[in-house]
Amino acid sequence: MSSSIEFTLNGRATAVAAPPEMLLLDLLRGPLSLTGTHSGCDTAQCGACTVLIDGQAVKSCSVLAVQAQGRAVTTVEGLARPDGTLHPVQEAFIACHGLQCGFCTPGMMLAATCLLAQIADPSEEQIVHALEGNLCRCTGYVNIVAAVRQAARAMNGRAS
Amino acid sequence: MDPGDVGRYGSGQVVRRIEDPALVQGQGRYVDDVAPEGQVFMRFVRSTTAHGRIVAIDTEAARAMPGVLAIYTGADLEAAGVKPLMAAAGFRRPDGKAMDPAPKRALALEVVRYVGEPVVAVIAESRAAAHAAADAVGVEIDPLPAVSDVPAALAPGAEPVWPGAPGNVLAQAQHGDSAATAAAFARAAHTVELDLVNQRVAPSTMEPRGVLAHFEGGRLTMRLSSQMPSGVRTGLIHCLPGLTTETVRVVVGDVGGGFGMKTGLYPEDAAVGFAALQLKRPVKWQAERLEDFLSANHGRDLTSHAELALDASGRVLALRVRSVANVGAYPTGAGVAIALMIGPWVITSIYDIPQLDLHLRCVLTHTAATGAYRGAGRPEAIYVIERLLDAAAREMKLDPAELRRRNMVRPEQMPYTNAMGQVYDSGQFERILDQGLALADWGGFAARREQSQARGLLRGRGIATFLEWTGGNMLEEQVQVRITADGYVELTSATMPMGQGIATSYAQLAVDVFGLPIERIRVLQGDTDRANGFGSAGSRSLFTGGAAVRVAAQNTVAVGKDLAAQALEAPAADIEYQAGRYTVAGTDLGIGLFELAQRQSAAVILAEGGAKAGAASWPNACHVCEVEIDPATGEVRVVAYASVNDIGRIVSPVIVRGQVEGGAVQGIGQALCERIVYDAQGQLLSASFMDYALPHADVFRGFKTAFDQSVPCLTNSLGAKGVGELGTIGATPAVVNAVVDALDHAGLGRAAEKVQMPLTAETVWRALRGKLA
Repeated sequence: MSSSIEFTLNGRATAVAAPPEMLLLDLLRGPLSLTGTHSGCDTAQCGACTVLIDGQAVKSCSVLAVQAQGRAVTTVEGLARPDGTLHPVQEAFIACHGLQCGFCTPGMMLAATCLLAQIADPSEEQIVHALEGNLCRCTGYVNIVAAVRQAARAMNGRAS
Repeated sequence: MDPGDVGRYGSGQVVRRIEDPALVQGQGRYVDDVAPEGQVFMRFVRSTTAHGRIVAIDTEAARAMPGVLAIYTGADLEAAGVKPLMAAAGFRRPDGKAMDPAPKRALALEVVRYVGEPVVAVIAESRAAAHAAADAVGVEIDPLPAVSDVPAALAPGAEPVWPGAPGNVLAQAQHGDSAATAAAFARAAHTVELDLVNQRVAPSTMEPRGVLAHFEGGRLTMRLSSQMPSGVRTGLIHCLPGLTTETVRVVVGDVGGGFGMKTGLYPEDAAVGFAALQLKRPVKWQAERLEDFLSANHGRDLTSHAELALDASGRVLALRVRSVANVGAYPTGAGVAIALMIGPWVITSIYDIPQLDLHLRCVLTHTAATGAYRGAGRPEAIYVIERLLDAAAREMKLDPAELRRRNMVRPEQMPYTNAMGQVYDSGQFERILDQGLALADWGGFAARREQSQARGLLRGRGIATFLEWTGGNMLEEQVQVRITADGYVELTSATMPMGQGIATSYAQLAVDVFGLPIERIRVLQGDTDRANGFGSAGSRSLFTGGAAVRVAAQNTVAVGKDLAAQALEAPAADIEYQAGRYTVAGTDLGIGLFELAQRQSAAVILAEGGAKAGAASWPNACHVCEVEIDPATGEVRVVAYASVNDIGRIVSPVIVRGQVEGGAVQGIGQALCERIVYDAQGQLLSASFMDYALPHADVFRGFKTAFDQSVPCLTNSLGAKGVGELGTIGATPAVVNAVVDALDHAGLGRAAEKVQMPLTAETVWRALRGKLA
């Protein structure tokens, strides 16, 4: 038995039916066809499925779809501006070679976006802590951390 | 455009990867992102017993469940004419007969031989329905004794995994000269010996395996995450009756990491293909992480007793190694070759070691198979020699860098043939060492150790100087070029992207020739209808496929020249090409490359070209690592890591740095935290990222990484050497040598050499208290 969920998805009011046992991850990837949110493990360890719920980074494999009711959900597809301009975090991941295979990248970027909304100029330790729940097998994290630092600089520069 | 701009995108320049805009916007096309109308889902029922006889399979309840379309057992597949996967071959048993592995089937038949072996395949309309129905299948297995590690498998009276491997020894190999080596040991001034466990690890691509198969219009299309689509096609045709190269198409989109794990046909792939043929609907299987831990190929798992003989001056006289590889129950060809041949090829590394004596065995156990994993044999071999050299330096009270220096193959010895008959074309190993020592501030270590000590921490330093073999001995590639009327240069290659950025490197090489902006270059890969070849493994793609890109691009410009001559009504000899435009020399007459394409009857210009490297390339490096150990907890922290790498000529500077540093973190992972663990009954204990420790973001970030481009590879036209595996190979011994150094300095002396990977806090804490397993 499905219930209707109303929430804001990437800035747009969305109403969708979902069975009560459906995970948010599966709602996004299935009925909503937003496949940028990835599933990389079964145990909420890898963070490839990270999205923002009301600005907070959340592993969408650990949230029921119905829990999105009334909330604002942001996925990787919602990071760029509607005109296609990339988010500074996306720009920085490209500029710093912060991705290789790209599978962990959406989750990494959303975890980073959450951090930068809370701490405008995070220390290296704060960045590492914020990315603790996201696994990457390709980059060794070096350039991911560098990308988050660069994104912080870019966002602060624009704000000032 | 300004030709000056083009230079910014050519080879050797720092460019933004052409792969990235799609990937950062969530527009990647990994297998599970493709969801055709009407797709159905496969779920496997897997063995929960390491070894046993299948007594009964009850599918009745499951078949009655909603949404269930089909259920297959091994017997069903056997009856339908499905054959076992292509068998691993090429080596001999101890009795001289050809190796004889157990048939590896899409679904187990009669006997199961490891936990996680697919036994039943359930296909249903939804994932949830397939899951529920699989849970309702009853599989009764009569358990038999299991052997889950090498000592158990080799014990007298051990349970045989398969009758074709008497005593559980599948295959063996001997290399070198036992008598000459024994003589060298007899006259040696110094000898050292070590027992070394290169533990089993999980490649752990972030995207698990996945397959989507669809039989339509008489053709089977397999979309999967693979480094070797053509090999998958060959393997599938072998397994499934009635298929030919014409009726199978393998398509690969974005690959979420490969690392060697996605190099062949897996049993699950064949089962999905079979179901698609039967059901005539798109059938998808997306592995869960647990399934990759259980049944994707693992890496390493080699135990060695290794000895080194040296003269009084520290020159190595001989190397003697006895190794046993645990290759699992259904070994892969790569897993066997890695242990018996590929590792041995590089075991003397960059050192001039005259005598060698290797006895190597591959042993079957009731575990998942081992296969290629980043480095594939070279990490195991380099770990052996680099650990031995450190032990010898300790024994002789010599600086470990100095001992290495005394044994290096010198430039004037090139081309150099090592004791395994492998020929190195180039290498300036001592120069790389000197740069590595300078970058690491080797001489300043004592002061840093004192500073660590003042903070209550033990500091250690480790070095690895080494080379590796790249290319997979598959050295030829073809590239097709298509100039389109809408303004693109399309390159088609059978090599594969898997995150390493090969499309960007190819585009840069094409920019060199075409003089066009990189945005005009597109790279098409991963479709057996377009191109076929070995695929990407063994760090081969750039120096084979990249060399072919250059030739194909040059051929295209030449083809266009003739077409331009016709279009401009001028002799071909007078036509010049620059930056996307043909002109008649000395005139204003000209035509753009894309306009020229437009004028052709098919509105394209087509050309192709190939290249063949003369031999493997031999990248080499000096990696120096420093660690700090908290003696209270045993926790090891990497605190410095410097490397100087000779990968020949560099096409994409940012990419190769990412390869070395990201690869090094994989090597650090093996050194410090990763380990696949089976219990004595063959149950997998490390089956999730909770129990299998991958490095996290806090692992280490302060890499100092440099490249020496002054020694181009002489066996390919680019002068490039493979880079994909170098960091992983060097990091593991460099880190372990650093930990052993710290433990030695803490008072353990030579006993510190007994520690085995992974050097977790517990292992190191115990070692500091004299408990050396």
